[in-house]
Amino acid sequence: MFQRILLVAAREFRQIAMTRSFWLTLLILPLIFALGPIASRFIDKSDTDSVMIIDQAGGATATAIRQRVEIDGQRATLDALAQYVRRHELQRADRAAIWAQQDHWYSDAEVAKFVASGGLKTALAAIGRVSKQDADGFEAPDRDYRVIDTPPALANVAPADLGKALDPYLRPDDKSNRKPVDYIVLIPHDFGASPLIRVWANGTPRGSMMTMLQGVLTPDLRTRFLAGVGVPQATGLAANAIAPVVQVTTPPPGSGRERMLIRSILPLACAYILLMSLVLSGSWMLQGTVEERSNKLLEAVLACVSPSELMYGKLAGTVAVGLSMILTWMACGAFAAYATHGAIADVIRPALAPVASIGSVVTILYFFVAGYLMVSMLFLVIGSVSNSMRDAQGYLMPVILLIMMPFMLLVQAVLRGTGGIAVEVLTWIPLYTPFTVLARLGSGIPTWEVLGSGALLGVFVLVEILLLGRVFRASLLNESSRRLPEMLRLMRQPG
Amino acid sequence: MDALRLDSVVKRFGDFTAVDNLSFAVAPGEVFGFLGGNGAGKTTSLRMALDILRPDAGSISVLGSAPGRTNSARLGFLPEERGLYRSMTAIDTIVYFGRLKGMAAAAARAEGHNLLERFGLGGFIKTPVDKLSKGMAQKVQLATAVVNQPRLLILDEPFSGLDPVNQGLLEDEIVRAAKGGAAVVFSTHVMQHAERLCDRLLLLARGKKLFEGTQAEARATLPVQLLLSAKASPATLNGVADARQAGTPGEWQDWEVRLAPGNDPGDLLEQCTAQGFVLRRFEQRRPSLHEVFLHIVGGAEGR
Repeated sequence: MFQRILLVAAREFRQIAMTRSFWLTLLILPLIFALGPIASRFIDKSDTDSVMIIDQAGGATATAIRQRVEIDGQRATLDALAQYVRRHELQRADRAAIWAQQDHWYSDAEVAKFVASGGLKTALAAIGRVSKQDADGFEAPDRDYRVIDTPPALANVAPADLGKALDPYLRPDDKSNRKPVDYIVLIPHDFGASPLIRVWANGTPRGSMMTMLQGVLTPDLRTRFLAGVGVPQATGLAANAIAPVVQVTTPPPGSGRERMLIRSILPLACAYILLMSLVLSGSWMLQGTVEERSNKLLEAVLACVSPSELMYGKLAGTVAVGLSMILTWMACGAFAAYATHGAIADVIRPALAPVASIGSVVTILYFFVAGYLMVSMLFLVIGSVSNSMRDAQGYLMPVILLIMMPFMLLVQAVLRGTGGIAVEVLTWIPLYTPFTVLARLGSGIPTWEVLGSGALLGVFVLVEILLLGRVFRASLLNESSRRLPEMLRLMRQPG
Repeated sequence: MDALRLDSVVKRFGDFTAVDNLSFAVAPGEVFGFLGGNGAGKTTSLRMALDILRPDAGSISVLGSAPGRTNSARLGFLPEERGLYRSMTAIDTIVYFGRLKGMAAAAARAEGHNLLERFGLGGFIKTPVDKLSKGMAQKVQLATAVVNQPRLLILDEPFSGLDPVNQGLLEDEIVRAAKGGAAVVFSTHVMQHAERLCDRLLLLARGKKLFEGTQAEARATLPVQLLLSAKASPATLNGVADARQAGTPGEWQDWEVRLAPGNDPGDLLEQCTAQGFVLRRFEQRRPSLHEVFLHIVGGAEGR
């Protein structure tokens, strides 16, 4: 009996593996992952907005804005470097360096000190002395803003004519091959006496741009105001320089909310892969079963194998197809991690944490196989009661919708870390148990829930195979399509 | 040991009795015809022998065992509704069915090659089924049934849909299998094939057995028909049931004569000689199986 089941499974596997759609599906996921980063290199993905400043008030304000943009950019670099040093435990490169400090929101003075000490170049040189690979691996973040030179022709345009004069810079002609300027800031002649400045934006302005401008211009206006009411200029400047020193406590890299996110990546990916491979391999098996029925070859097969052997063989073949897809995708992931010299592994390592124990691996395997059997059985029965794919579509679409519908809700709930009653309920509905348990492995699911829902799922699969198996056996040589009430009647008939 | 034996088998589908108290046996080396009209219960009976269906009553013995897949190594089956996996090659299809019947892969492949060569498909061994013509696919189907050199070959309406060349090929295979000692059971409603091939036959109508025996025994169920040429009407002779004039009236008149059941043509000839009843022609007409079928089954089918 076992040999015949294996033969049917092997034929089923071969038939699916010979289809073009199987290979396309198998390769398309790794291809997307491989081509994604390559394609992104050819796409201008810079998030840095260009800023042009027309300062008609003498140039001091433009210089202040330019300095602010530079300091903010350096702060972002310093912040990213400090996190990188902490994650890779590189403090030993220079324990006194500002980037080796923890729990810190860098003040302007500290950023200035970082720049004065040689900035990123000097820091990476120090890191390189303890780990050249880590020094090479750091990538500074893109800056938010970049101040570009102001064409001399714009410097003295009358304010009333500026709108027209700036148009070619904000919305350049396609033929000019110029990139549009994102922001043009006008500091009018009377700025100071008047608080008004003007900003032309190439779209809805970012909040950070407005905050940055206000941050630069407000102290200037306040200093002028204080001077106007008789406060000495030095006092006014000192008052404006007062700022709180903020001490920040953050969890180590890869913990806290970040930890939740990273730990949920792999389990969520498992749930998604299970869902996708299930729907695909189930559809292929369904097609095969419909073909067997419509080709009238079942009777010859049934003379050699029993209906139960045929059913188990088909289920085993489909599980094998699904698992081979998953193994291929995992192998591609492992290869990518190896090929990228640990860059991906850095991400995967914390993600592997929730699935690294034997118990987790067994849990994943159990819910994978049980999920496969549960959904494949549905597809198999649909195939056995349908004479054509058109017949099958009538059952297939509702079933696929039913399976897939709560998945987005599940993903969002798991990523937010808010389980909630909906996720709890989904865990205990056998149709959704495999996906929900797999998805929740990262954010934490009590052991009793895994065991309880797993046991319920196991019982459900056994009962499903028993009842739907009756429909399968009774429908194999039936030439007409079966309706739902008839299928329900067959489920009640033993043997 | 009988290759196939059914004892008082009954099969019902709801209120409908498809097979009613059917008993028969087929010996090794025998070609057994299973004749009946559409819906007579032929396919249901054969499916029960293959354990695709289970009888509601009675017993079935296949090669000395109860029906089941354990027999599949010694069984060959060609169903009425035939199909193949379209994407599989001819040889892979045969090997797959051979392996399902318990053959080793190498043996199934070797026998598959032999069969395809014998059926004239040596050049299409690795051709996918969907690239074969219908006639070629039919040969592959036949090969899947006989790849394991079965001891019991069950063929359900094997000639339906076959072109004359493939009909001849199938007849040869049936004869070959029987000569090799296999029992061959085939159902048909085309009497010419049964006439040419069957050692014994069974007539079935509405699930009930109406006749089982040799072709001669089947023909004997019909009254003997004679063609006589005489100057006088033979209707007065003893044993003649009726006599009809045939052909052009003249001095010597042709007569179609039916004897009453149980009367021998030789007795009638002797009577003519003894009584001086002058004959120019005395010809016995052998009834066809078709006529036998209509005679035996016709009434039952109509009921």
